[in-house]
Amino acid sequence: MRAWVSAAAVVLLAACGRTASSPALTIAINAGVEGDALKTAANEWAERNGTRVEIVELPYANLFEKELLDLESRTGAYDVIMMDDPWFPRLVDKGNLAPLERQPDEDFLTSCLDVCREPYRTGTFYALPYVGNSQLFFCRKDLLDKQGLGPPATWDEVLGAAKKVGAAEKMYGYVMRAAPGNAVVTDFMPLYWAFGAEMFDGNGQPVVASKEAIESVRFMLELGKYSPPGYTGFNADEVSAHLLQSTAAMSINWPAWIAAMDDPARSKVVGKIAFTQMPSARRKGVAELGAWLLAIPGASRNKVRAMEFLIWATAAAQMRQAALRGNPPTRRSVFMDAALRARFRAFPAQLASLETARPRPRTPQWNEIENAFGIYLSQANAGSISPEDALARAEQEIAAIVRRGK
Amino acid sequence: MTATMRRAWPGVPWVAPAVLLLLALSIYPLIYSVKVSLTGPGGFTLANYTRLAQDQLFLRALLQTLAYTAVALAIEFALGLVLALLVDSLVHGRAFFRAGLLAPMLLPPVVVAVIWRLIYNPQFGVLNGTLRTAGFDTSRLTWTSGEQSALLSVILVDVWEWTPFLFLLLSAGLQALPQEPIEAARMDGATGWQMFRDIVAPLLKPAMMLAILLRSMDLVRIFDQIFILTQGGPGFATETMSLYIYRTAFRFFNFGYAAAMSFLGLALTVVFARSLVKLMRTAR
Repeated sequence: MRAWVSAAAVVLLAACGRTASSPALTIAINAGVEGDALKTAANEWAERNGTRVEIVELPYANLFEKELLDLESRTGAYDVIMMDDPWFPRLVDKGNLAPLERQPDEDFLTSCLDVCREPYRTGTFYALPYVGNSQLFFCRKDLLDKQGLGPPATWDEVLGAAKKVGAAEKMYGYVMRAAPGNAVVTDFMPLYWAFGAEMFDGNGQPVVASKEAIESVRFMLELGKYSPPGYTGFNADEVSAHLLQSTAAMSINWPAWIAAMDDPARSKVVGKIAFTQMPSARRKGVAELGAWLLAIPGASRNKVRAMEFLIWATAAAQMRQAALRGNPPTRRSVFMDAALRARFRAFPAQLASLETARPRPRTPQWNEIENAFGIYLSQANAGSISPEDALARAEQEIAAIVRRGK
Repeated sequence: MTATMRRAWPGVPWVAPAVLLLLALSIYPLIYSVKVSLTGPGGFTLANYTRLAQDQLFLRALLQTLAYTAVALAIEFALGLVLALLVDSLVHGRAFFRAGLLAPMLLPPVVVAVIWRLIYNPQFGVLNGTLRTAGFDTSRLTWTSGEQSALLSVILVDVWEWTPFLFLLLSAGLQALPQEPIEAARMDGATGWQMFRDIVAPLLKPAMMLAILLRSMDLVRIFDQIFILTQGGPGFATETMSLYIYRTAFRFFNFGYAAAMSFLGLALTVVFARSLVKLMRTAR
């Protein structure tokens, strides 16, 4: 009997202890530079409010699946979730996210706000943009100047410069990532759009294998001739390593790598890289958007407090702090801050890129579509399939995915 | 209640927790995943299973998994056997070599994959760097980044890490062999090859079968190394069944189709394992 009483007491004490220390908010964040700033902000918020915040830090590859599992099973394990913007259409599906009660203010950049709405651009807000990521074109200004060339404004100029700089400097004129899946698709989309190609027609049917699309893949293979061998397996790390080691002259890249380029401890190209807008072709060049958003799961039991945190973390004052910690902002006022502009030389280019940046197609099936598209693009780059075949097969796969989703 | 049941009854409370745990953690999820694989938006369906035969990507992933398993197993088995025989024949330093050879197997597969990813980097990796220093042209050696070389490169990593496992099992088998027939053959003047072919190999057959069975079951499920090294690329060159199932389940959230693929994989593994077990029985 005594043993039973002791066991019950232990269980009760454990339960009491758990209640006393249970956090006010549980936040799922990406393990990386974007998440680091939010983690610091969350701890600061907890300290100000005399409460406790639990941070669940997950690698990019697992964050989506953990969040979706939580949302679909409505466990309410997280009160705030951080998400990459292409995940939004899938995560908001079936009313899994709580709608925001207040309209975001107009200081946020429109391109970043549009991806927080369901339907895209016109619907209700379900998230707030926290990190203003969009691609930039990185190029070696010193080497281009040496050849009497400026930063390229068109893809033809990129190809010409890749040939000229590569031959003169005995280096790779261009470097791209063409590993299957997200990597190759991300690097390819600005080229694809610039050549006038689109993934879907007005009725949502895939039109991946258009004349313009074939031309853009051919151009990508042409650029591949000036890329390092093995680029078909490259991801962001390898591309950036080539720029940092001064073995390649140009690439598409993300703002997260700007600091590394100008860090003498890591880079051989300090101050030599120019950060410019996406080159154009038939259409004006636009970057791909990769903003990080903050949202509240519908099953959260702390929605009011979560909303308070969301508003606080995305306010201009906090976003300025996040910018100092390395996160590109999503507010115009922060981009225009004179002190920040003096400190971050790429800010004007980042703002210009974000203002026109285009998100990936807004469909809950994007992960699957991107995977299928990426496989065939990667195969085309590896030379095992022609651009025509690659796009025809991709279109077939994507059509099947769209059909299954209906 | 029969006498047997009465005798067994006192044991039931002791066995029940384990049985309940097994039911909750193994049997129920298994039955549930069968149900998921047979359920579509409109209720019962065989669509997930019929899709298996039409899905070109899945069929290619399946073939690549079989090729990966066959090649890696053949190399690991041959190397493991040679190493086991060599170490077994040593008079001194057996313990030292055994410990040294087992080291790669003790590392977590994810760590091994990350290390090899750095080693294989065509420009900055130590492998091409060493070859360049030795005067070789490495401009075409792209290892995991080349469509032709990627599968072999990931197999090489598997061989590096898991040959010690086969070495360990075969070495233990060699230690357990009766010495009398070997001594008798030696006295009769049998050569090393004759002793291996006519005495050691037949006696070692059960250990060989066990080693092949355990390793092949593991190889069919290969995931972590490939996920880190190539993520199935370039293109689709190193995509395996587990990777494809993982993507279908956790990236595309199509659990029904992922479950159907898993059951096909399970069926193939069971058929292979049963054939080997049958062979093992006849070997005894």
